[in-house]
Amino acid sequence: MKPADFPPPWSDGDAIAAPSDSEPIEVGVLVVGAGPAGLAAAIRLGQLAASDPKGAARLGEVPVAVFEKGKAPGSHLLSGAVIDPGPLQRLLEGLRDPGDMPSYGEVPGESVLFLTAGRAVPLPIPPTMRNNGNLVVSLSRLGRWLAEIAEEAGVAILAETAAEKLLVEEGRVVGVRTGDKGRGRAGEELGRFESGSDVRAQVTILAEGTQGHLTAAALGRFGLAGSNPQTWALGVKEVWKVARPQRQVIHTLGWPLRSGAKFREFGGSFIYPMGGEMATIGMVVGLDYRDAELSVHDLLQELKTHPRIRSIFDGGERIAWGAKTIPEGGFVALPRKFSAPGLLVTGDAAGFVNVPALKGIHYAVESGRLAAEAAWASVARDDDLDGFDRALRKSFLWSDLRQVRNMRQAFARGLWRGSALAGLATVTKGRFPRDDRATERDAEQSVLTSARSSSYPAPDGRLTFDKLSSVYLSGNRTRDDQPNHIRLATRVPAELAELWSRMCPAQVYETGVVGDDGLVEIELSSSNCVQCGAITAKGGRLTPPEGGSGPEYTLT
Amino acid sequence: MVCGSGVESFAESAGPFGAGAVFVADDERLAAPLPQPRVDVLAALIREEGFDIVLFAQSVLAADVAAGLAARLGAGLNWDLVDVAETDEVLVGKRPALADSVWVDVGWTSSPRLALFRTGAFEPVERGGSAEVRTVDVVLEEHSLLAQLVEPAVAEQSGPSIEDADVVVAGGRGLGGPEGFAQVEALADALGGAVAATRAVVDAGWYPYSAQVGQTGKTVSPKLYVAVGISGAIQHKVGMQGSGTIVAINKDPNAPIFDYADLGVVGDLNEIVPALTSLVGRRKSG
Repeated sequence: MKPADFPPPWSDGDAIAAPSDSEPIEVGVLVVGAGPAGLAAAIRLGQLAASDPKGAARLGEVPVAVFEKGKAPGSHLLSGAVIDPGPLQRLLEGLRDPGDMPSYGEVPGESVLFLTAGRAVPLPIPPTMRNNGNLVVSLSRLGRWLAEIAEEAGVAILAETAAEKLLVEEGRVVGVRTGDKGRGRAGEELGRFESGSDVRAQVTILAEGTQGHLTAAALGRFGLAGSNPQTWALGVKEVWKVARPQRQVIHTLGWPLRSGAKFREFGGSFIYPMGGEMATIGMVVGLDYRDAELSVHDLLQELKTHPRIRSIFDGGERIAWGAKTIPEGGFVALPRKFSAPGLLVTGDAAGFVNVPALKGIHYAVESGRLAAEAAWASVARDDDLDGFDRALRKSFLWSDLRQVRNMRQAFARGLWRGSALAGLATVTKGRFPRDDRATERDAEQSVLTSARSSSYPAPDGRLTFDKLSSVYLSGNRTRDDQPNHIRLATRVPAELAELWSRMCPAQVYETGVVGDDGLVEIELSSSNCVQCGAITAKGGRLTPPEGGSGPEYTLT
Repeated sequence: MVCGSGVESFAESAGPFGAGAVFVADDERLAAPLPQPRVDVLAALIREEGFDIVLFAQSVLAADVAAGLAARLGAGLNWDLVDVAETDEVLVGKRPALADSVWVDVGWTSSPRLALFRTGAFEPVERGGSAEVRTVDVVLEEHSLLAQLVEPAVAEQSGPSIEDADVVVAGGRGLGGPEGFAQVEALADALGGAVAATRAVVDAGWYPYSAQVGQTGKTVSPKLYVAVGISGAIQHKVGMQGSGTIVAINKDPNAPIFDYADLGVVGDLNEIVPALTSLVGRRKSG
């Protein structure tokens, strides 16, 4: 049995519509998503418009608008994060002193540890993971800062606005329809009902991040998808006030994940210092895992009980929590093309993540910048949007990703063989293995069960926590009486119900009663959802709830 | 313009707030809050006086009247405005959109121009002066009198609301099903309190959303809060932690609610709650 056997009641076409008859709101370039890709695109467009008033006139009264489904820019941003600041510094040249960028400073030193249940063995740092000169940041904070710069550049940022449908007219993307607000549980119009609007744009830039439902629909509608399916990992992280300053960037491999090939447990953890007073810890596991009892949330709790890790967090206080998926398919799973008439796809939405280097933010920034230039050329000079595809292929992000294209797939053979193969790929700069190694959909992995959950620690409320306390700390205050935004088969075998309920870090899914047919009913608490996107990877479909719903991250 | 029955005395009070003239339609047939007779009165007045701009303070009745008037006069209506200004001799209204994150300029393409304003959009400013009060003849169409007010009613609820009650008895998933709420209601009755519910049971459809206590529901602070079959996740706690005395009944000794209850009973609620209800009943009658 595999999750893909129980598909959700959803087709990507559900996210595409023709423009309605009502009068649309008109903007020049519309950016969906106020993350590093979308804001980089918006800032670059603002710069271009300022330098060429004649071209800018062609963008109309609202030259650039950014839609953000969260309460504010940054509300739904979460990452490690250690970033390569180069592309951002180039983007902001002349706008901001690089020293103003909100960060916790350069990586002061780093180590990679291999964990067993009781020990921590230092490993040599793989070349792909070296972080000299890179910065530790909170992506949520960085996003808020970039949003301010974008607004100064004349960009309109519309928060609490979900982009619900892609508007397509005569084979061309002409904008987006925003989601309704104020509907009740059964879809009925409540007193505060506000209908969504058609927003028309000359160019629409999708910067939805991981698991964007418009991106998925666009890749299908315009035949942009590549030859391999995208795969994802789920990351769950916490931010702590620590009793003693953490002085090193630490990555771990091994425990509490199992190395056996049959489990397909690829992942690890990160611990980053955030100045002297704070530190962050996160656990990331590939969603191609098979065990129905695997819970990344609980593995993170278990990880903190390791003597080496506990010593960092003992006496501290957990102050933030969040979860998000990461596209892991890499180069071989990239779309065939990143543009369609009226449309550009950037950042995590496109899958620009370097898994061995644990980085994607600088690619998001770079692809956003290139998308802005292509959109500008199209509006101001009637150039084809194809220029974006050509620019991407000439960019450093393309050669970076190409070099590491087969590393992630190697780990399907277990940690040890995977490490050996990844090592070979590294020393040959990606020339070994010569052919592209295929990816498989996460939802196509058959489910197995072991007694994995028996070792998860009971939450003590100090070092280890239950999921609902975590959701609370995410700032999630989603209105309960709104329609469910998660499309999912709700009568499934018990193992699949177990898989989803354990997988979800926010306790959205619970196993209900067993029916006569042996299938169980899934009960959803959709307002717990922090929109991490894991359910889309593992057989469901996350769509955006009412704008303004979901977590309110500030430090993640 | 003042419309209603026995409302003439209000008219003069508009003078100090800037009204130069106040029209009064005072008639028994305008007593009930029904839109159609008001549409008749207003339509006749606007035609007669040739008014170009008609503004309403937004309410359910005003929205009904404005919509009916727009249809009657073939006029344009903008709603939910928070401001209006004349720019280059063109009247422009301001309407918040997209969760009030942007202001949209709206105009009218024909005359008269009708608009509904958000209540509270303007501060009343008293600056002296007096109004000329002018009485309007009330001539109603026959069809406008077909709708009649039968009976005014307010939304009913049994017992006190959970926000005002001194005693709240709340039920959670431990009740096992919607039928379990009968016990909770009986106990609330005996204690003279209101019934509340957790998000989980409201989600499951066991009890209405209006009774939900917690982070995304109502916040209550009764003198006595009895939690029946509630595990007490933090999302629930933040909605009731201000209660005077918290009593928890739950079969799971590890339930988080016992960390902050003043009095905890570990046991089967199906035995404890009925026993408690009858004990309270006996004490009260005794």
